[in-house]
Amino acid sequence: MRIGAAKQTYAADEALFDTTVQRAWLVGLFALLAVFPFVAGPYWIYMACLVAINIASATGLNILTGYTGLVSLGQAAFMGVGAYTVAWLEINLGTPFLLNLVAGGLTASLAGLVVGVPSLRVKGLYLAIATIAASVILHFVFSHWTSVTGGVSGLTMPPASIFGIVLDQPRTLYWLIVPVTVLMVFGAANLFRTRIGRAFIAIRDRDISAEVLGIRLLRYKLLSFALSSFYAGVAGGLWAYFFRVITPESFPLVMSIFFLAAIIVGGMGSILGAVLGAAFMTMVPEALKLAVGWLSPWLPDAVALLSPVRTIVFGALIVLFLIFEPQGLAEVWRRIRRFFHLWPFKT
Amino acid sequence: MDWLFLAEVSLAGIGSGGLYALTGLAFVLIYKATRVVNLAIGEILMLGGYVFFGFAAGMALPHWLAALLTLAVAGLFGAAVERTLIRPMLGESPISVFMLTIGLGSVLVGTVELIWGANPLMLPDYMPTTPLFLGEAYVSAKVATAFAVAAVVVAGFLLLFRFWRGGVALRATAGDQAAAYSMGINVPRVFSLAWVIACVTAAGSGMLVGAIGGISPTMGVFGLSVLVVVIVGGLDSVLGALVAGLFIGLLEALAGAYLGGEFKMLATFTLLVAVLLVRPYGLFGTHEIERL
Amino acid sequence: MFKLSRRTVLGAALAAGLAASAALPQARAADDIVLGGSIPLTGVFAFAGEGIHAGIQDWVKMVNEQGGIEGRMLRYVPEDTAYKVDASVAAFNKITGQHKVTLYYGDSTAFAKTIDPELERHGGILMAGASFATELNDPGTYPLQFMAGPDYTEMFGILLEYIAQEKAGAKVAFVHSDTEFGRDPIATSSERAKALGLEVVETIVTPPGSVDVSTEVLKLRRARPDYTIFHGYILAPIPEFINQARQMGMETKFMGTFWSMDNSIVMKMGAAADGFMGVMPYRYYYDTEDAPMLEKIRAMRPEYQSTAYIQGMLTAMLMTEAVKRTLADGKELTGANMKAALNSLKDFDTGGLIGVPVSIPGNSIPVGRIYRADMGQQKMVPVSDWINLTRTGG
Repeated sequence: MRIGAAKQTYAADEALFDTTVQRAWLVGLFALLAVFPFVAGPYWIYMACLVAINIASATGLNILTGYTGLVSLGQAAFMGVGAYTVAWLEINLGTPFLLNLVAGGLTASLAGLVVGVPSLRVKGLYLAIATIAASVILHFVFSHWTSVTGGVSGLTMPPASIFGIVLDQPRTLYWLIVPVTVLMVFGAANLFRTRIGRAFIAIRDRDISAEVLGIRLLRYKLLSFALSSFYAGVAGGLWAYFFRVITPESFPLVMSIFFLAAIIVGGMGSILGAVLGAAFMTMVPEALKLAVGWLSPWLPDAVALLSPVRTIVFGALIVLFLIFEPQGLAEVWRRIRRFFHLWPFKT
Repeated sequence: MDWLFLAEVSLAGIGSGGLYALTGLAFVLIYKATRVVNLAIGEILMLGGYVFFGFAAGMALPHWLAALLTLAVAGLFGAAVERTLIRPMLGESPISVFMLTIGLGSVLVGTVELIWGANPLMLPDYMPTTPLFLGEAYVSAKVATAFAVAAVVVAGFLLLFRFWRGGVALRATAGDQAAAYSMGINVPRVFSLAWVIACVTAAGSGMLVGAIGGISPTMGVFGLSVLVVVIVGGLDSVLGALVAGLFIGLLEALAGAYLGGEFKMLATFTLLVAVLLVRPYGLFGTHEIERL
Repeated sequence: MFKLSRRTVLGAALAAGLAASAALPQARAADDIVLGGSIPLTGVFAFAGEGIHAGIQDWVKMVNEQGGIEGRMLRYVPEDTAYKVDASVAAFNKITGQHKVTLYYGDSTAFAKTIDPELERHGGILMAGASFATELNDPGTYPLQFMAGPDYTEMFGILLEYIAQEKAGAKVAFVHSDTEFGRDPIATSSERAKALGLEVVETIVTPPGSVDVSTEVLKLRRARPDYTIFHGYILAPIPEFINQARQMGMETKFMGTFWSMDNSIVMKMGAAADGFMGVMPYRYYYDTEDAPMLEKIRAMRPEYQSTAYIQGMLTAMLMTEAVKRTLADGKELTGANMKAALNSLKDFDTGGLIGVPVSIPGNSIPVGRIYRADMGQQKMVPVSDWINLTRTGG
């Protein structure tokens, strides 16, 4: 059981981590992240990188959908814009990778701005469909602007390198991907302690009321689109460095649905939710693979069932979370925490 | 300019547009009555095709019986989905419900793959195959049949909405739920009814689409074109679905013929964006005035 | 530590769902030669993956029953990928992390391209796979990979060669899907057709996954080609295309490339596809011409095996041959040495899987034969002799 915390300033009240225990946990988490690549096998490092990339992109989508209330099914396409930008720069100019990542993010946010323009007039589901249209059109650009994107066969790029160290292995790329993701997650968490973040939340809760309160709707909706696609662009850039081949089929519509599912399962409008959701949704197929493996002595052709079962579980997770746990994993987490905070009293 | 070619392409386009219109109708029906955007419509259509395949090829039933059984199964499915998934979500944000239907679609794809496998299958031939010539222009017999069936069903629906008690109840609920309640209409029953009718319609068009191009777990992408149709027409407009259905079918055919197959999706989605910019509620949709 | 890794190895193999056949610790020595595989056992390409999987498995069994390669056992470690690039890369990382891999089977063009820098960095692996992409047939860019057959452009080359022999100056149309797979040989083959004196009258692109092809058929009808070549499909929408074209009374001869040429696939096209032709680099399971390997396969598996099965087996056979020759020369098993050994193959006898002795000058085996569907017999029957593009100067 905790006793009250003495907060004397608003700043203290708004702090992301307000107790020493929380900070200690955070330090522990960082230590774990730093030690991880030295103890884990290549497969787990690979998975960790993939999870980190997905977290970055899901956090971006959460800004737009979870906090501003604008549903987007274009996140994967924006990732594609970032990935193509990064690949193009790396191949043709060979600029440093951090610069490329930022450029990828900026290009993606430009694309996001354009897609966001109708968002003032077009609302709710019509907007969601408009973002599908955007991703179809971007997909067409990817596969037909051959001189830049390499057409259907895509681009193959050299690995990132810094000070002569070539980052071509999950083990080394980990040190690029994870820190960037951590930075972006903290950036997003801090965003919602500022005027901009609060404006987003006001728009989500009721956009007309927000306008009455003096929030410029168009400006903030566009800003939200731009920020969200910046995150997607950087995540796409990391994806590009990770796989080093980008084809138009790398960023399909189901990937956008995946990110939307991740923030639903994790908890919309919660930073922790996007992190948990992206990690969970990335790991579930792997867990299924393992489960199918355990079943195989009794079920000889279990492996043939894997793909359909994966599709079913993906859908079922969305449905079950929406019906039974609409606040997502973040809420489960809060419940667990509350249990320990209030212990030994009954929650 | 090759006028005969243009005529043939246009006929083919309008033919497939008939199927868009029919499926779009199923979509609009659910939206009008329950305000749910059902993104699983493409997958329900696919389910219809597969269930028909199961009855007609797997159990070797006569085609008419298989078709009737498929429609019955689809109806039951619609009722079950409405009761177990949609009813608990009433009052939630439309976005949650919209995601729920995406999840449902994924479950359906997986289930179909589990039962029938991932490989494409051909439906048994139950449609005439002798080619049809309108003047000199060739029309695929299957497409023509499908169009005729779609036209009859759509006409039937329009009559039902106008004259049948259930149809009137549907329209009343769509107009104003509270008022419908106070007039003694059982609104939850109307919700179920809308889902049942929509799923039956979607499964029916699934049988038609499957007869033309075969069935596969990915045929749910047909739903994407239908989505364009209903957004362009306006989510809550039956007339919009019909007009936009034919128009999108025609547009796809023309884009495919004169620009190349890869431009089909681009053309329809560009049209979608253009329409949304000019009329954010679709061509025939109701512009809802928001009040605080 | 060793014990632990062994347990994880077992777990991984179990996870692949293949514990029963591949992973049980039967004579697992440290010097086993490991053939890893990203195999599409599920997903859209599953029909091919199953065949490939069975083919490699059977070959490995045969080699080990005869005492392995120079006394070293061959061990096959597959992992399912569902035909997704990221899953494929994950499988590669997992398998190479847990085993000392010498040979690898990859499942797609995108995977082959993605993993290539990694292969060159690793240096100890020779890779082949299910992709016949023209791009991969370049020993300069992809020095450690090969394909057990002609690349897609060469497949088209063989078809065009046949057409030019049958009917000089014939009109040809290409129908392909709007995917990397579909677009692969189109541009290069148009030039090739011109060189052979053929006229490409129409190139039709269909969007991926499209089912309604009425407008495309109308276009084809306008072009009136003598031959129509499909590429980039497995089954749909070929049957509907053929049906509609036949209804219109079109006389064009339809052709396909490797992945749509398996017997079971062509027979699914229905009666209208009688006479459907295509290029096949291998013999079919039921071929009666003299072929000792086919007899062995038929003895092992009495039911029909797909051409993907033959592909998997032949790939594993060529890999084994490369290892054998490298070891015989007393060289180290590096990717470059094995590739050099593979390139040294001259008129190698595949036991009849390919009807003529083959050489692998680069990354591909540019050999194939035209087969024609006979719906009466429910079989594909050969209509041409083996066409070898290296001999004819292609």
